[in-house]
Amino acid sequence: MTDMALTSTFAGLHDRYASSPALPTEDREAQLLWSLRYHVARTQLRQLMTTARLRTLLVAGLSLFFWMGLFLLFYEGFSFIVDNVGQPGGRYHAETVQFVFHLFFASLNVMLVFSSGIILYTGLYNSPETQYLLSLPMRPERIVLYKFQEAVFYSSWGFFLLASPIMIAYGIVAGAPWYYYFILAPLIVSFVYIPCGVGAICCLLVMHKLPHLRKLIVIVATLVLMVVAVPLVWRTVSSPQSKLFGVEWFQETLDRFSITQQEWLPSTWLTNGLLDAARLPHVVIEGDRVDWPVAKSIFNLTLLISNALFLHVLTVWAAKRWFRTSYANFATRRTPRRTVRPAYADRVVQAFLFPFPRPLRLLLTKDWQLLRRDPVQWSQFLIFFALLGLYFLNVDRFDNPQSDIDYVTWINMVSFLNLAVVGLILSTFTTRFIYPMISLEGHCFWILGLLPVERDTILWSKFWFASLGSWVPCAMLVLLSDMMLQVPLLVILVHQLTCVLLCLGLASIAVGFGAMMPNFRETSPSKIAAGFGGTLNLVLSALYIMAVVVLTALPCHFYLLASKGPWGTTFMNPQYLKMWLVAGTGAAIFVGAVATIVPLYRGLRAFRRLEFV
Amino acid sequence: MIELQQVCRSYGDKVAVANLNLRVAAGELYSMLGHNGAGKTTAIKLLVGLIRPTSGTIHVGGYDVVTQTREAAALIGYVPDQPFLYDKLSGREILQFVSRMYGMDGRQSARAIDREIERFELAEFADQLTETYSHGMKQRTVFASALLHAPRVLVVDEPMVGLDPHSIRLVKDLLKREVAGGMCVLMSTHTLTAAEEISHRVGIMNQGRLMFDGTVAELRGQFPGESRSLESMYLALTEADSNAPQAFSRRSSASIPAEEGLTR
Repeated sequence: MTDMALTSTFAGLHDRYASSPALPTEDREAQLLWSLRYHVARTQLRQLMTTARLRTLLVAGLSLFFWMGLFLLFYEGFSFIVDNVGQPGGRYHAETVQFVFHLFFASLNVMLVFSSGIILYTGLYNSPETQYLLSLPMRPERIVLYKFQEAVFYSSWGFFLLASPIMIAYGIVAGAPWYYYFILAPLIVSFVYIPCGVGAICCLLVMHKLPHLRKLIVIVATLVLMVVAVPLVWRTVSSPQSKLFGVEWFQETLDRFSITQQEWLPSTWLTNGLLDAARLPHVVIEGDRVDWPVAKSIFNLTLLISNALFLHVLTVWAAKRWFRTSYANFATRRTPRRTVRPAYADRVVQAFLFPFPRPLRLLLTKDWQLLRRDPVQWSQFLIFFALLGLYFLNVDRFDNPQSDIDYVTWINMVSFLNLAVVGLILSTFTTRFIYPMISLEGHCFWILGLLPVERDTILWSKFWFASLGSWVPCAMLVLLSDMMLQVPLLVILVHQLTCVLLCLGLASIAVGFGAMMPNFRETSPSKIAAGFGGTLNLVLSALYIMAVVVLTALPCHFYLLASKGPWGTTFMNPQYLKMWLVAGTGAAIFVGAVATIVPLYRGLRAFRRLEFV
Repeated sequence: MIELQQVCRSYGDKVAVANLNLRVAAGELYSMLGHNGAGKTTAIKLLVGLIRPTSGTIHVGGYDVVTQTREAAALIGYVPDQPFLYDKLSGREILQFVSRMYGMDGRQSARAIDREIERFELAEFADQLTETYSHGMKQRTVFASALLHAPRVLVVDEPMVGLDPHSIRLVKDLLKREVAGGMCVLMSTHTLTAAEEISHRVGIMNQGRLMFDGTVAELRGQFPGESRSLESMYLALTEADSNAPQAFSRRSSASIPAEEGLTR
C-alpha cells in the first residue's frame, strides 16, 4: 500500500484525533519536567528528614564545616597576599591572584567538560528513565535538556562548594563593593554552563558518529590529557630543589602555567570578571584609555552568558538531530559475550591462600574473581592509590640538613600524615566495597546458605579478603612514602605496625557493621554504602584511624625531637620517651585489637541470627 | 492501524528482526509468540519508536514511526516488559504527569485518572510511593498509565509475567473489552493459553523471522488429522524451524495477502 493510500485509509482516524488534546508545547514540556523533578526532590527530602535525619544533618553539618574551613584557609591566604605581595589594585597583587584564579578555574574547566559528558552519557544512554520518556510523545531535545540539567548539577556542585568560599573570601579581603557579591552567581553559573555544554555536545557527537569507538575515544582523550598534563606536573615538581618557593621558581611557575591565561578561555573571562568586579568603581581616564572596572566586569559576564547561550542552542540542535538515532544505535549494539576462565592472577591468589582451610579458600577466591571482573569495583581505588603513589614519589622536596630540628619535625609529621591519608582512603574503600558485601550476598544467599559451610566461615572470608587485600597495597605505599622521606628505621617499623592495625581494624568494622546492619532491599552497593550504616561505618573508621595514628605518631614525634634537639628536659629525656613510645604503641595495639575483635564478634553473632528473604 | 513493511534490525552482525511484514487492524488483538531472543521485544521497540529499523518502514495510524515519532507515540499506549516507574512518586502523581504529557488539561486529566484508578482497582494504594508497590500493583499502574490517554493502539510486552491469577484475569478481560471497543492490541507473550484464549491472530517468531501469521485455527490446519494445543503446535513449529531452517515451508508472513490483516 502506498503512503497516499495509507493516508486515505487512516483519514477517519485523523479526524477523530483532531478532537484529542493537542500535545504540549515546548515550554509546557519543560514545565512538566521541572514539576516532575520538584515532586521527586520534595519526596526525597521529606524521606531523608523522616528516615535519615541524623545522616542528613551530619552530611549538611560536615559540608558546612568543610565550607567554613575552606573559607578560612583562603581568607588567610588572600590576607597573606595583601600583607606580603601587595594591595588590591597593585600589579603584583593582581598577577598573583590572577595566577591562582586562572589555574583553579582552568583546571575545573577541563574537569567539567569530562564529568558533564560522562554524566550525560550515563543519564541518556544507560538510564531506564530515558527509555520511558522516549516512549512518551516528547521531543528528543527536551529529554536531552532534562538530562543535561542533571549533568550540569551533578558535575558542578563540587565546583560551587570549592569556588564559593574562595570568591567570598577574596571579596572580603579585597574590600570589594556590594555588587561583587551579586555578580558572583551569574558569573559562576554562566561559566559552568560552557564546559558542560561542550561536554554535552561531545557526548552526543561521539554517540552519534562513532558509537562503536566510544571506548577508544575516551581512552585516547585520557591519554592525550595525560600526555599534556603529566609533563606539566612533572616539570613543576621536578624543578631544581634549591629554587623551591624562590623568586625564580615563582616566575618559572607563572610562565609554565601561562596556557591557563589564554584570552579565549572561559576561565579567563571568569577571572577577569571577578577581579574587575572586586575593584572599586572608580573611572580612571589616562589619555585615550578609560579604566572602568564595573563595565569590564559586565563585559566579561556578557561574554560568558552569550557563549553559554550559544552552546545551549548548539546542544538543542544536536539533540534534535542526533539523539533518537544515536539512542537506537546504542540500544541495538552487539554486546560481546565474554568467555571467562580462571586467569593467571586467580592461580597466584590461590597459591597465596594455601594456609587457609579449603572452604575459606574457595570463598576468598570467589570474592577475588568478582572483584577482578568488575573494574568499577577496583578502578577508583587504583586511581586514588596511583595518585598517592605519584605524590609520595615527589614528596622528597625538602633538601635541608638532617640536623635541622624543624626539618626533622616536618618530615616526621608529613610521614604520619601520609599514613593517615592512606588509612582514610582505605576507609572509603572498606565503606564503599566491603561494608555492602553482606547485603549484596543476601540476593544470592540461596547459593551460600545451602552450602555445607558454617555461616561464620562466610563472614571470616569477607574479613580476610578485606584485610589481606588492603594490607599489601597500603603497606607498599607507606613504605614508599617513608623511603622517599628517608625516615629512620624505627619510624618505618612503627608505620608498618600501624598499617597492619589499620587494615585489620577497618576490615573488621566494615564486615561487622555490614553484618549487623544489612540492607537486603537495595541492589546498588553505592546506595547501601550511602545509608545510615555506611555513614556510621565511615565515621567510626575515621575516628579509629585518627586514634591509632595519633597514639603512634605523638610519642614517636617527641622521641625523634628529643634525640635530635638541643634540649633535655625531664619529659624530653630519651629514656622516658622510649617508654612513651612503647606505651603509645601498646595503646595503639590495644585500640586496634578492640576495633578488630568487637565489631567482628558482634557481626558474627548477628550473622548467625540473620534471616535472608 | 499498525503496519510494518520489510522491517530489518540488526544488533551488530546478529539479525534480530529480518524482513518483518505485519499488519494489525483496529479492533484486532494480535499475539506475538516466540522463544527468548526470537525478536519479539525488538519488534515491539521498533513499533513504539524506541529503536529504528535498519531498513523497512513502520506506520502507526498512518504516521511514520521514524519521521513522525511524536505523532505516532500519541496514538500508542505501551506496557514494556520491564516497566519503569518513578520510585519517589505516587501512582497518582505518575498518572498526572503522563496525562499532562499527552496534552490533557486539568479536568480531562482528573477524569481520566479517576477512570483508570477505578478500572484497575488502584484506589487503595494510588497515593502511596511506587517504591512500596508489589509487582502486580506496579503492573496495574503501568497499564493505567498506558491507557490514560485512550490510545488507539496498545502495545504490551509480556503482560502476564509475575501476575497472580486475579490480575491475569483482569488483564485478559481488559484487553478483550478494549479490542471490542475498537482498539488495536499487539501483545508479546509466553503465556500460550492466554494467547489462544483472547487473540484474533497469532504470530510466531523464530530467529528474527515471522514464521507463522494467522489464526489459531489456521495454524491447526497445518497439522491435519491431529488435535493439538497451541503449545504443542508452537513447539513443533519452532523446533522444526530451528533444526532445519532451510527446509521450513510454513506459511510465512510474506505469503499473507496484504489486505488480509486489515479486513479480518
